Amino acid sequence: MPVYVDVLRCIGCKACEVACKREHNGEPHIAVLFADGRAAVPLLCHHCKDATCAKACYSGALTTDGDRVSFDAAKCTGCGICTLACPFGVIWSDKLAHKCDLCYPSELPTCVATCPAQALSVDYDVVHRRARYKAAQASIIERRKTR
Amino acid sequence: MISMDSSRCLGCSACSNVCPSGKITLEDGEQRVIHFSRCEEFCDLCVEFCPGKALSISPEGEDFQISFELIPCQVCHTPFATRPMLKRIVEVVPEEMQRDSEGVSWVEICPRCRREMERERAALPAVRSRM
Repeated sequence: MPVYVDVLRCIGCKACEVACKREHNGEPHIAVLFADGRAAVPLLCHHCKDATCAKACYSGALTTDGDRVSFDAAKCTGCGICTLACPFGVIWSDKLAHKCDLCYPSELPTCVATCPAQALSVDYDVVHRRARYKAAQASIIERRKTR
Repeated sequence: MISMDSSRCLGCSACSNVCPSGKITLEDGEQRVIHFSRCEEFCDLCVEFCPGKALSISPEGEDFQISFELIPCQVCHTPFATRPMLKRIVEVVPEEMQRDSEGVSWVEICPRCRREMERERAALPAVRSRM
């Protein structure tokens, strides 16, 4: 259950970054990047099913745990292999590794609760429902034009 | 004092991170240099935490250092990782997973450039709709 991103909604305000930073002692686990002045993209851990970071981790600090990739700071040695093993570059390491923990054990990640544009959600279908709705609207408008 | 089997050292930063007395220092530039100074041996944290099991406690020895060439990122050419660390990733990650959905091998690309590639991919729907 990762955090799903609807890039069409993201306004690039970085509220998620600030909220994440507050929640995790000054180290944000989400980064908002800007693409060509046209879009803003929040990047964070995908909680991969077959996580390469967990495969590479020497100390067992990173493990796949059901729907998430959990991180145990007490086991982390800060070797930095996970930052190199993540295909998306969303694990950071500064003495200790840090990555999205979905604000476990709280029910809703802080970034999702904070996002003012509702671009982040924990419900996979939200993004797709919106896309389907938009497609349906567009096709209706097309049909009306041709009539 | 600490002694090292240099063939097992990965050039990671675990020992320099865990040393409580700061006797192990790490410097990054074109090369990564890890310097070990004489310590009082009241702990063996570096020995315990070394991922490559390269360190051991020995009765005597001098200060020493080990250096690693840092591999440049294939996109931005910034040196970012030691060869043994990348080798570990190539070994533990299944071959088909070492390429992204577009067939680009990500192992020798630095995390910063990986994020930028991910940004381009993720931004596509928004960029298209705002053309």
